[in-house]
Amino acid sequence: MLQEYYLPHSVADALILLKNNNGQARIIAGGTDLVIDHQAEKIKAEAFVDISNIEELKKIECADGVITIGAAVTHSEAARSELIQKHAPALAMAARSVGSLQIRNIATVVGNVVNAQPAADTAVVLAVLEAEAEVNSAAGVKYVPLYKMYAGVCKSAVDSTSQLVTRIRFIVPQRNQGTAFVRLCQRKALALPMLNVAAMVSLQGDRFAWARLAMAPVGPGPVRAIEAEKMLRGAPLTDETVEKAAQLALESANPRSSMVRGSREYRIGVLPVLVKRALTAAVARAHTN
Amino acid sequence: MSFTTLKFTLNGEPIEIAVSPSDMLVDVLRDKLELTGTKKGCGKGECGACTVIMNGKAVASCLVPALKAADAEIETIEGVANGAAHPLQETFMDLGAVQCGFCTPGMIMSSKALLDDNPQPTKSEIREAIAGNICRCTGYVKIEEAVEAAAEKLREQR
Amino acid sequence: MSAVKREEQVVEDSKYNVIGKSVRRRDALAKVSGEATFTTDVKLPGMLYAKVLRSPYPHARIKRIDVSRAERLPGVKAVATHKNTSRERFNTSATMTFTVPHLQPVLDQYIFDDVVRYVGDEVAAVAAVSEEVARQALKLIEVEYEQLPAVYDPLEAMKEEAPDIHAGCHEGKNVPGEVVKIALGDVEKGFAESDLVIEESFKLPVQKQAQMETHAAVAQVTPEGTITVWSTTQTPHPTRMILSKVFNMPNSKIRVLNPPYVGGGFGVRIGCSAKAEPIAVALAMMTKRPVKIVYSREEDFTASDTRHGGYARVKLGVKKDGTFHALDIKGVLNGGAYCSFSSEVPGVMGTMTLAIYRIPNENFVGYPVYTNTTPCGAMRGFGNPQGNFPLESVVDMAAEQLGMDPLQLRLKNIMKAGEPWCLPYPCSSTGLAECIEKGAESIGWERRGKFNKPGATKVRGIGMGVGTHVSNSWPFCVDYDNAYITIEQDGSVQLATGVPDIGTGTSTSLPQIAAEVLGVELDKVNITFGDTANTPFDIGSHASRTLYAAGTAVIAAAKDARKQVLEYASELLDTPAERLALKNSTVFVAALGLTDSCSGSGVCQAGSGKRTSVTLQEVAAHAHLHNKQFIGVGRIVPPNSPPWEAHFAEVEVDLSTGQVRVIKLAAAHDVGKAIHPMIVEGQIEGGVLQGIGYALSEEIKYNDKGKQQNYSFHNYFLPTAEDVPEIDAIIVESNDPQGPFGAKGIGETGLVPTAPAIANAVYDATGVRFTEIPMTEERVFFGLQNKRKC
Repeated sequence: MLQEYYLPHSVADALILLKNNNGQARIIAGGTDLVIDHQAEKIKAEAFVDISNIEELKKIECADGVITIGAAVTHSEAARSELIQKHAPALAMAARSVGSLQIRNIATVVGNVVNAQPAADTAVVLAVLEAEAEVNSAAGVKYVPLYKMYAGVCKSAVDSTSQLVTRIRFIVPQRNQGTAFVRLCQRKALALPMLNVAAMVSLQGDRFAWARLAMAPVGPGPVRAIEAEKMLRGAPLTDETVEKAAQLALESANPRSSMVRGSREYRIGVLPVLVKRALTAAVARAHTN
Repeated sequence: MSFTTLKFTLNGEPIEIAVSPSDMLVDVLRDKLELTGTKKGCGKGECGACTVIMNGKAVASCLVPALKAADAEIETIEGVANGAAHPLQETFMDLGAVQCGFCTPGMIMSSKALLDDNPQPTKSEIREAIAGNICRCTGYVKIEEAVEAAAEKLREQR
Repeated sequence: MSAVKREEQVVEDSKYNVIGKSVRRRDALAKVSGEATFTTDVKLPGMLYAKVLRSPYPHARIKRIDVSRAERLPGVKAVATHKNTSRERFNTSATMTFTVPHLQPVLDQYIFDDVVRYVGDEVAAVAAVSEEVARQALKLIEVEYEQLPAVYDPLEAMKEEAPDIHAGCHEGKNVPGEVVKIALGDVEKGFAESDLVIEESFKLPVQKQAQMETHAAVAQVTPEGTITVWSTTQTPHPTRMILSKVFNMPNSKIRVLNPPYVGGGFGVRIGCSAKAEPIAVALAMMTKRPVKIVYSREEDFTASDTRHGGYARVKLGVKKDGTFHALDIKGVLNGGAYCSFSSEVPGVMGTMTLAIYRIPNENFVGYPVYTNTTPCGAMRGFGNPQGNFPLESVVDMAAEQLGMDPLQLRLKNIMKAGEPWCLPYPCSSTGLAECIEKGAESIGWERRGKFNKPGATKVRGIGMGVGTHVSNSWPFCVDYDNAYITIEQDGSVQLATGVPDIGTGTSTSLPQIAAEVLGVELDKVNITFGDTANTPFDIGSHASRTLYAAGTAVIAAAKDARKQVLEYASELLDTPAERLALKNSTVFVAALGLTDSCSGSGVCQAGSGKRTSVTLQEVAAHAHLHNKQFIGVGRIVPPNSPPWEAHFAEVEVDLSTGQVRVIKLAAAHDVGKAIHPMIVEGQIEGGVLQGIGYALSEEIKYNDKGKQQNYSFHNYFLPTAEDVPEIDAIIVESNDPQGPFGAKGIGETGLVPTAPAIANAVYDATGVRFTEIPMTEERVFFGLQNKRKC
């Protein structure tokens, strides 16, 4: 039974509250998923430590070519941020596509990752940006790459009863680089994706220097299309290359069948289409960057 | 169960009320403060009937722990009419945007949050603003028209 | 509707003072200010809160149930189970109150039974001081189940080896009530005489009403034993009759009312609001305290009636010149675990589908079938969409094989007023040809087939569908209506009618009718509705009947009151009543006209000595001082009239993902006469969007354990504001000779031919015929793939 609701004003205070509650207190940010899980008794906590009043976590900053998103930054703020729109428009687009405005106005980008939903939209883009999370605990600060944030399906590697993810950060895409995000869903709002794909490319003349592709939900978290990425390294910028990458991406994907969001067969059938669209859009973006 | 005093501003008035940590804002508004204009259609943030404006932003009050509203400015449907009906209320009434009326308060709150921030919204901005508000009666056509017309009215008033 | 059309409307309606005008709705101010009261808002002193324990199994016998631990939880005031509640069998739907002999209503439900028949079926209910305590108490109820074999598909359920879900199915395995059969001419001979016979099978999904306010009821029992129930019902009077039977109480001691607003219905609460009312009453009787029950959204999805899914097969015989000659339809509808309206829905599927065209040889057979899924009952359209999608798809197939324009083929065959058809009342009017013409113009039908370049990944197409419906449920079931009109002592008017206003605007349009007939200003009329205590009997808001049937009763009551007023005034004006008129709240000598006559206080009165007019206020006050009041009573059995509709869809199909997007939907509706055009448009637009959902995305699926997979707004894909195409609602007025001021039913037609219009457009775009809806991206993707393989 929930006994306390804390609203600390600093990271240090939040960590002390976690420590003092010996694993019975849990971090809450937007809470849009957490409160439902709590009501359904899927998670238990005696106290919530709400980090949304911590000023330093409300910022989106760019310094030394690195963009940092605080843990209290909402999807709406990320989607509307000029910094993010300019440097990582795919992330803005992904943030815009989550749930509804009422959700996006509270739910945080970091929470979208920590919640470890397999189809989290922003996480897919953060995966190709090779973002890393700043994880605070009594033991100090460490940086965890995004792909290590998932411990299983709907299971985060972060323990929110002792650890606090304060920020997520990624290197700003450079000239000749571009990102893109595409999403397949059954309606335009209030829908988890049937599939979503993010791409980031770096171009060198008429070739791909390299490319990163992430797909969901085809595994516990965003899944990188390793085979396709390998092939794309140094490959010519042609329709054939893109087509080949789209097919190779399937080798890394293991989608499940859902009665609600599409069968495995359908997801396998359309994944290459989304990969193609994401890659093509990322290339177009890179040309203008 | 422990109770904490929650202080916030509700429709311009300071409020102090004892709540428990697991209380949701929607239940505090409806049950404790008896402001039943805010409706509860799903309790999971999926229908928008419980939309209120918190610090200028539309939020689903069924997903907001009441204590998250500490020191916040909360606006509910009961606070929208300021002496006279708000232009949104006028256009909802005159352009047929109201049928069963259960989504109406939430719909108006989402629209108001939009117009407070953006006096000249495009059609797609209006749709984005109300996409989280399910309406099963109207097909949204007249709601969209009412929001557009209210925006125009508000611009004329400025 | 465009501004130009609105202007036309105004000109045409100048002969009326009140109707035909889109006045501000009377409920609008309360609803936009948050002051409108719904059942979920009702709170009474000492009120308890109820929660229901539901079956986790699709079919099981309750071997043992122990509620003692729950009863001991502090704050728990009562626990109801099959052991301590009424053993009276009933049917949650109003069908049990208005089925006409020789047919017998199927009574197959108890409040709680010792057998559960679907996942979500009621096992027990707790009343406690808070919802939270009630919820905790549910966990303390111990139930031992013996699981029984279950079946989810109606075709499977009809097989001999299937488990019996209820005893007493005498017309076939798991078939409740009667198999519905309708026949006209000789269909076998008709097919033999046809030049072309097309036959196709279709699969239909389970759709959910998903009205915004979940089912709710508050019950209060007085020490004398009278019961008051505030609830979300669409039918207060029939719901009272159901409760009267369940609790063995006189009708007169039960009051059922809406408080007064209802957050939508779409058919889901014709009768009880699922079991909210009987459960609340049972617990209120046990605790002697008011009890409130509000269904969660998940309960609303899983434990209240859905639309019937199932199967349909259509066989159409056509002559070379395109004349339809024979039509045979078979429907097998999944009725779910309890009968509800399953005995009636196939009948509407059959008649409404057969009634569209002039076909000399017609046959329909419809099977309702029990399965272990959520019960299926009434949803907007009531079987009509289930027949319309198959037939209107087959009509397009016929057009293609004949090499004819599907629009021309339809125009050639559509029903005409006065022609013979399968229905037991005449086709009194039709504006369908005009609907087709106007809809075609709106969509740009001439562009059909000229969109797509070879190799395009997104292709466009245009399709159409037409249909009809009823304007009430007469003569299929009991359908009569009453209204009272009281002229108050100051000349203002009190109208009382038993229909509720579930959002369709009847509390505005019925006063409009009363004001028009009486000749008073609209703001003089007040209406009481949706309350059995102070309104006369009426069967409620459903079957597109509310305005048509209640409006007919209101006209009768208003004419009665008007007659009394004129008779009384005839003495005051010393003129025979038949030579008097009443307009603008003034009685005057008709021949002199209102403008020429004197108001009564003017010079002419003094000059001539004889008054030629008198205000209604004066007449009413005069009557009052002479111990008289004018009370008009309307008691009618409504006729029935067919509304008509033509939908035209333009779609875009993404060939690589299978996603279908509706670009525009033009919906032309023959509404007879629009009493309140803006409300009519709202009905069409809302219906159309539900029809688009039915065609493309809305579907409840059950897994192999009988559990719903789409039980929330999160995973049931009804359209949001971002999914709405351009919708052009076009009003056509055929001025029906029977309906009130020529009006016909408009509540349901909005979604009848939407799905086939979209399916025909998808075919036009892709060349693939989809016989299963919704046309989800996955179905379309594999449909396109199969075509490529061929």
